[in-house]
This record gives sequence, structure tokens and C-alpha cells, in this order.
Amino acid sequence: MPDDRGSPDLAHGVPPVAVSSTSTRVNLTGSWKYIRPVYQDKVAPCNQGCPVGIDIEGYMNLLREDRIEDAIGLLLRENALPAVTGRVCYHPCENACNRAWLDDAVSIHGVERMLGDLAIEQRILPEPETPRPETVGIVGSGPAGLSCAYHLARLGYTVTVYEAEAEPGGILRYGIPEYRLPKDVLAHEVNRIRALGVDFRCGVQVGRDLPLNVLESHDAVFVATGARRGRALGIEGEDLPGVRAGLDFLREVNRGGRPALGHRVVVVGGGNTAMDCARTALRLGAEVLVLYRRGREGMPAHDEEVEDALREGVRFEFLAAPVRVESTERVPDREPLEAIEATFDRFEGEPPAPHVAGLTCTRMRLEEPDRSGRPRPVPVEGSEFFVAADLVLTALGEDPDFDFLPEDVERASGVVRVNALNATGHGALFAGGDITDEPHTVAFALGSGKRAAVGIDRYLRFRAGEIGDGADLSELRQGPKGNISVTRWVGGDPVRRTDPVNRVVTFQETNPAHFAPVARAADRHLPPGERRLGFREANLGLEREQALAEARRCFNCGVCNECELCLVFCPDLAISRSAGGGYEIAYEYCKGCGVCATECPRGAITMTREGL
Amino acid sequence: MSQHLIKDLIPREELLDSGHLACPGCGAALAMRMVLKGLGENTIVALPACCWSIIAGPWPQSSLHVPLYHTAFETGASVASGIKAALVARGDTETTVMAWAGDGGTFDIGLQALSGAAERNEDFIYCCYDNEAYMNTGIQRSSATPWGAWTTTTPAAHPEAHPKKDILSILAAHGIPYAATATIAHPDDLIAKIRKAKGIRGTRFIHILAPCPPGWKAGDDETIALARMAVKARVFPLLEVEAGQRWRITLDPPREPVGPYLRKQGRFRHLSDADIAQIQELVDRRWETLERRVRDGG
Ligand SMILES: Cc1cc2nc3c(=O)[nH]c(=O)nc-3n(C[C@H](O)[C@H](O)[C@H](O)COP(=O)(O)OP(=O)(O)OC[C@H]3O[C@@H](n4cnc5c(N)ncnc54)[C@H](O)[C@@H]3O)c2cc1C
Ligand SMILES: Cc1ncc(C[n+]2csc(CCOP(=O)(O)OP(=O)(O)O)c2C)c(N)n1
Ligand code: SF4
Ligand code: SF4
Ligand code: SF4
Ligand code: SF4
Ligand SMILES: [Mg+2]
Repeated sequence: MPDDRGSPDLAHGVPPVAVSSTSTRVNLTGSWKYIRPVYQDKVAPCNQGCPVGIDIEGYMNLLREDRIEDAIGLLLRENALPAVTGRVCYHPCENACNRAWLDDAVSIHGVERMLGDLAIEQRILPEPETPRPETVGIVGSGPAGLSCAYHLARLGYTVTVYEAEAEPGGILRYGIPEYRLPKDVLAHEVNRIRALGVDFRCGVQVGRDLPLNVLESHDAVFVATGARRGRALGIEGEDLPGVRAGLDFLREVNRGGRPALGHRVVVVGGGNTAMDCARTALRLGAEVLVLYRRGREGMPAHDEEVEDALREGVRFEFLAAPVRVESTERVPDREPLEAIEATFDRFEGEPPAPHVAGLTCTRMRLEEPDRSGRPRPVPVEGSEFFVAADLVLTALGEDPDFDFLPEDVERASGVVRVNALNATGHGALFAGGDITDEPHTVAFALGSGKRAAVGIDRYLRFRAGEIGDGADLSELRQGPKGNISVTRWVGGDPVRRTDPVNRVVTFQETNPAHFAPVARAADRHLPPGERRLGFREANLGLEREQALAEARRCFNCGVCNECELCLVFCPDLAISRSAGGGYEIAYEYCKGCGVCATECPRGAITMTREGL
Repeated sequence: MSQHLIKDLIPREELLDSGHLACPGCGAALAMRMVLKGLGENTIVALPACCWSIIAGPWPQSSLHVPLYHTAFETGASVASGIKAALVARGDTETTVMAWAGDGGTFDIGLQALSGAAERNEDFIYCCYDNEAYMNTGIQRSSATPWGAWTTTTPAAHPEAHPKKDILSILAAHGIPYAATATIAHPDDLIAKIRKAKGIRGTRFIHILAPCPPGWKAGDDETIALARMAVKARVFPLLEVEAGQRWRITLDPPREPVGPYLRKQGRFRHLSDADIAQIQELVDRRWETLERRVRDGG
């Protein structure tokens, strides 16, 4: 247009009417600015919050674009067991979610579970990289071992997993009950790892059935034997038959056993093992009482588990601790426990042959916080009382057992010492999961297995002279904390990135004005009454449509998803679409107002000082 | 509003050029950009004196890809009427004529010409971009300046003492076929209204809130946020009125108090909490009147 506006009649020196003949584009108004916007790809808080190191934001965005297959692909790049974590991970990602400041966190676990189940249903198998000549041995097939095996197989290695139990899975197989994690879900995900070529040798306890030096045939070894040694009560009568380690009880039930429990089971402890014991015992027909020495707030068990236990009819005695287990000889005519609910009269069997009479307990009160920062429970003198029970299950926490490891593997306060990529410093020996110093959760175990896989890959490639050892680990992280992205290690990220910076986006950097409040979808559940009748899965997750709606609630923090608002709102028309996707800024016209950065719904634009 | 629809609702065509001379973050510049997207290329603009006289560029430049006539401050509506008459005389009934004036040029000095044209139902679109003062000449108050605001002629010790003139009601009272409000923070609503207006014959009036960072003493980056908050706080409801009778609220987001909107702007810094409460009352009263009109008609 500007060209054919015609030129003024200058015959008399002055045009009769001043007619424009050029555009304002000759004014390079960009020289006015002292700050400039730049597109910057940042880290979503959920991505940093996930100990596995999943690109949650990335798959949420793919789902928003209805690219379900690609979303599954992105998820499977980082997580070996999405159908498992979608069910049993305590989802710290959701605690970090920016959306919580607007209404409620995105149901990340619900979306992950839907994708994990779809991956099983569609038998999706990720492509491995080019095969490598080295072999790796893995001891223990819990989530840490499975994760390491999966990622190493994908990296092209030949992997052998040695497992003491008859089937792989560790706590996932023998600890977590069927009603929280159906065995066939786990089996499907393990089969995916098998399909990648991983060889599982089950029923082989390293150190007993197989000498440790057999592992020397491998180029590297990852040890993740977990924490299974239950802590003792440390009180009189603890050795009586009728007192049982909770984990041992869960293992029996998970193997298909249905032990007789008697009418009343008392579970001692307040962690997740305690909740699983209580809810399992309930399903076997017993009345269940949980004894815990602190209050409800002090329970280490995950909130949802406690809620579920309460809903199903588990009773709790807080601020109480056992002082003595009483045999039937000592207390022959005990007071019966008040029946919890009439539903329990279906129990008709006899108490188990060796059973106890109950527990003598003491009331506790809370004093000044101890070193862990939690209030310290102390007994209230003269407050003893009796609790009747046929069976006592102890669930006071589990400690790792790695006596079979070489003497010179460094240990510190009961754990194996490892570096940032889980190397023990003892040759090619790596370790992860519950035997190392990290929270005992499935997600941390999966994350440690992945870190070790990257560590082993780096170690073997370095040994083969393919790479130097100077790689900057912080570049593999999503945010400044510990998790790492295997995609960043391998390369080939399918997400279009602008200028990636390893900084987490705060809620203040997002623009919630562009999001209307939408209620978070709640997981569907079996009715509590039905749950008690068996081991059917209690939490049914989200419908596919609900999960997709959750993905649309996601802000996609920190990563441009081409919503185009920056372009729409720029008063200076300085922003345009670029050929390869995304946008570019004409800095010769941009006046640095910052409207684009302020309006970007997800903090994907940063204002920077001019000339820096 | 869902962000992923916005880009699909907005025409890609750009009829405004970079290098224009508006301040950083200028709402008036953005308003023109969006309005022209709605009107398209076949448009002629009549422009009385205002900030836009500068934004359009000095001779021989123009930031617009459509013809624009610079005219005297009080004559936006008369010049638009004249251009339209000339086009019709030449047999062109298709070209849209738009008067584009500031609030000073509309609420104050241009009101007589506008009222006359509206009474005759002249066939043009009159857009008033409202930055709530005479900005081009250095922030003097206009009858669009809200109660309590600072300007250079209403200093903080004697802030604006009259409520903002209800220009939409005045125009609606002329019985013109279409009158509407819009803001730069709601581009889909704005463009829908412009398109609707374009399809109607007679005098059409669009009142666009266009925040001005220097005049409102606000951050350059806050222009959009302020316009959005004005709507949420019901300070600037999004409306349309057909034939002066049928009033409709086109967008009614969850209501927010006026406080945060006012506190974001330096021109209201001197206000006490009691002043703000008084503004809230004024806003609430106007909203009630509006609801009554929506219910009962004109
Ligand atoms: C009852 C219970 C419920 C839990 N629920 C949850 C939950 O809902 N969510 C959550 O996030 N976390 C939960 N946890 C914690 C979580 O399960 C553990 O942190 C996680 O399983 C640790 O993984 P890992 O791979 O280190 O060890 P494990 O899962 O313990 O696996 C170790 C494996 O090594 C094998 N092994 C041991 N020694 C040898 C050997 N010498 N040779 C060969 N194999 C060996 C074991 O048989 C086992 O299969 C729960 C824990 C328990 C006990
Ligand atoms: C008759 C007349 N009086 C005064 C002026 C000086 N003048 C030019 S622009 C302007 C202010 C215009 O205010 P407004 O219409 O609100 O537009 P803004 O500058 O705020 O965009 C004034 C007073 C003029 N050009 N003509
Ligand atoms: S809104 Fe989405 S990207 Fe942002 S933290 Fe929550 S889940 Fe992650
Ligand atoms: S909105 Fe436009 S002018 Fe303002 S900073 Fe962004 S690119 Fe520059
Ligand atoms: S506003 Fe939208 S298009 Fe622009 S950077 Fe942010 S996400 Fe990307
Ligand atoms: S004074 Fe205000 S309206 Fe005028 S150009 Fe500057 S920002 Fe725009
Ligand atoms: Mg003005």
C-alpha cells in the first residue's frame, strides 16, 4: 500500500493537500527501549517436582493438541512404569503445580494413569537406540532396578536382572496390595521391559544363590535391593507367635495367601506399610485398630491412604504406644473390642492357632520437637490401658539390608553412599532406590534408576573413549534440583524449545487472567462397602475424557504453546510468526513495553536489560 | 475466554505499520490495530486532533494502510459525514467511513458535531478511543476523566470532582442503530462488535477503553491488564445497544472490587479507602441502572 499512495503535486513548492507517501516503518522505534523481551523456554514446577524427571508439561501440551500417541511417547521416554506411578506415586508434582494458586492442582497422576493404561492397551513399545557391546547386571527388580533396566535397554545395552523373589517388582509386587496396584498392571509394564530384551533371572538371591563375583562378568552393575528389614518393637512379648512383621504379612497376601487373622488385628505404626496392613487385614475380615504414638497430623502415611483407611472402617488410636504384648496365658479373659461395624460379623472362623491376648499400651503426649523437627512423643505416666487383639502387625519402618556388598563400598548411617549419577565410587558399581539416601518412594526409586542408567552409559562411553567425562550434569536436570531428563542426555527432544533456561516458572510469572476456574476432576472410587469385600482396585482413576479435560486445565508453565497472545497484544506489531514454528520479535520496532511478557499466560517470555 | 480460540477469531491482516509514534504500551495504538482488522482495507478514517494525530506519523509518513484525513479537533463527525456524502456522490456505497477520535474530541469539543450527525443518522462508524483525558497535550481532564482522578488540571489536592460522563447513554438516546463499548483486552469481543457495526447502515458508535501508561501513571506492560480489570470491576461494562432500546451485556466476567483496579494506577494514588468506597458505590449504582435497562429496555 504505501507505495501507491501517490505523490504530492509539488509544482508550486507546497502540496495543496499534504499526502503521505511513506510508511512509518522508516522510524526504527526499537531504539527507544531499554529492556527487551526474549522467548525463553523455562521449567514447569511440576517437572521439577517429579522425582522421576518426567516432562509433565510437555505431555499435557500434546494432549491439549489431541496428540495422545505423542503424549504417551513423551511420557515413556522418561518413565518406565507410568501405569504404576499413576496409581501409587504420591504425586509431589501436584504439590508444586502452579494451577493450585488459581483453583486446584492439575490431576497429574490421573492423566498419567490414563496414559499408562493406554500404553498397555495399545502395547506401545519404545524404540531402543543402536545396540552396544557392553552388558549390565542389575540386582533387585523393584522400581529402581526396573527403571535402570528399562533405560539401559533403551540405550542399547544387554541387561540381566537378578531377583531373589519368584517374580519381578520388589515392593510393587510383594508389598503394595492388589487393591492399590493390580498385579496384572505391574506385569504388563514389566513385560514391556522384557520386550526391550531385558533378561530377568528370578529366584536368585545374590550373595546366597549366586556369588557376588558373578557380577564381574558384567561391564557395570546396579544394585537396588531395597529396604525390607522391619524395625523391632523393642518391648516384652514381641517374640510371641501372633506378633508379625507387617511387610511379611503383606508379602504372604501378595503371593496369594489368605492367612487366618482372628477377629481383631492391631497394627502398630503410622506409615504407609501400616495403612496397607490395616486395609488388607480389613479385607480378610478382621476388625482393625491402628495404634500410633503421635497424632493424625504426625502420621508419615500419605493423607489419601489415611482417608481411605478411615472411610473403609479402620479405627485409629492416636497418641498411644504398646509397652507389652500380652499372651493368652497372662490375660485370659480380655474385654472384647467394641465391634467397629456390623459388617464384620461375616467373620466366623476361629482365631489363628497361635494368637495373643492383646497389648498393654500407654498414652503419649507430645513434647518439644526433636531433631527431625516433629514433636517428640513421651509416655504419660500411669496411663496404661489394655487393647485386645488376636494378631499384632508391626509396621515401624524398614531398613535396607546390603550386607552382601563388598566391604569397601562406602556406607553412611545405614545407606550406600552414591554420587549425583548414583555411582558408588567402587569401580563400575552403581546403587539406587531405598538402599541409598533418598526418600523411600516409588518415584524416587524410579528416578534413581534412571540417573544410574545415565551414569552407567556415561561411564561406559567414557571407558570406550567415545566421550570426555566433563558433561555438565545441571544441563540434564529439570530445574536446579536432583531429577534428570534422559531426553536431555540422549537428545532428540520432540518438543520445540525456544531458548531453554533451567529456571522454574513461578505462579507470579504466569498470567492466570487467561484461565477461567475449572473444577479438578476427582478420581472415581469403589464404594467403601464394596471395597471391604475383596481386593478389587479401590481407586478407579479418571475417565479418558476427564483426563483430557485435566490436561486442558494445565497452564503449560514456561513453554510457548503458540497461543499467540503476545502477537495479538503487541501495540507495535513487532511480533510475527516464524517459518519454523513459534514467533520472532522485530527488535528494530519493539519499544520494550513488556505487554507481551506480562500477557503471556505461561511465562514463556522474559524481559531482559538492553545491551546485556 | 479461552486463549486457544483467540488467535482463530482474529484476522491475520494487519493494516497498521510498525514504527508508529505511540508511547510504549499504548492502548490507543492497539485499539486502532484491532479495529482495522475488523473493518478491513476498504475503509477511510477521519481523524480529529488527538494522540493519534501523532501516532499516525509525521508527513510524509503514515502508519495506516488505509486513507486517513487529519481534521480539526471538533470536526470528527462532520468530516466523516462529508467523506461519506462525497463517496456516495461518486457512486461508492461500500467503503466504510470511520471517525476516530479521543475522549476529548468526543465527550467534549466534538460532541455537538457528533450529536448532529447521530440525529441525522449519518452513515459512518464513530470510534472513540477513551484514555480518559487530553493526553496529547499533556494529560488535561476531560469529561471522560473519572471521579477522583489526578490530571495536570485536576491535581491530587483537587482531583476530578465529577463522575465520568455516560457517553453511551447519550448516543443511545439518539436512537442510532448500534452503540457499543469494547476494550483492547477483549479483542474477540471488540472485533465481533466492529464487524457487526460494519454490517449496519447509519450512525454506529463504538466506545473503546484504551489505557494510556503515561497518563494513567501505570506500567507500560499493564495496558491490557488494566482494561481487563476495568471490565471485571464493572467500571467499564462491555455492552451493546440496538436502536437505543435493546441493551445487552456482551461479557460479564466474575465481578471484582474496584480497589485493585484503582490502586494499580498512579493517577488514583491519593485516594483514601473512603474515596474508593465511594467509587465502588457509584459503580454499583451504574451497574444497577444498566441491569434495569437490560431488563426493561432503553
Ligand atoms: C508396604 C509398602 C507400601 C508402599 N507404598 C508406596 C506407595 O504407595 N507409593 C510410593 O511411592 N512408595 C511406596 N512405598 C515405598 C516404595 O515401595 C519403595 O520406596 C520402593 O519400592 C523402593 O524401590 P527399590 O527398587 O529400591 O526396592 P524394592 O522395591 O524393595 O525392591 C528391591 C528388590 O530387590 C530384591 N532383592 C533384595 N536383595 C536381593 C539380593 N541379594 N539378590 C537379588 N534380589 C534381591 C528384592 O526381592 C526386591 O524385589 C511402599 C513401601 C512399602 C513397604
Ligand atoms: C480547537 C482545538 N483546541 C485545542 C487543540 C489542542 N489539542 C490537540 S489534541 C488535544 C487533546 C485531545 O484529547 P483527546 O481527544 O482525549 O485525545 P488524546 O490526545 O487523549 O488521545 C488538544 C487539546 C486543538 N488541536 N484544537
Ligand atoms: S499448570 Fe501444568 S505445567 Fe504448570 S505446574 Fe501444573 S501441571 Fe505443571
Ligand atoms: S509487546 Fe511488542 S513492543 Fe512491547 S515489548 Fe513485546 S514485542 Fe516489544
Ligand atoms: S503468549 Fe502464547 S504464543 Fe506468546 S510466548 Fe506466550 S505462550 Fe507463546
Ligand atoms: S500519551 Fe497515551 S494515548 Fe497518547 S500515545 Fe502515549 S500512551 Fe498512547
Ligand atoms: Mg484522551
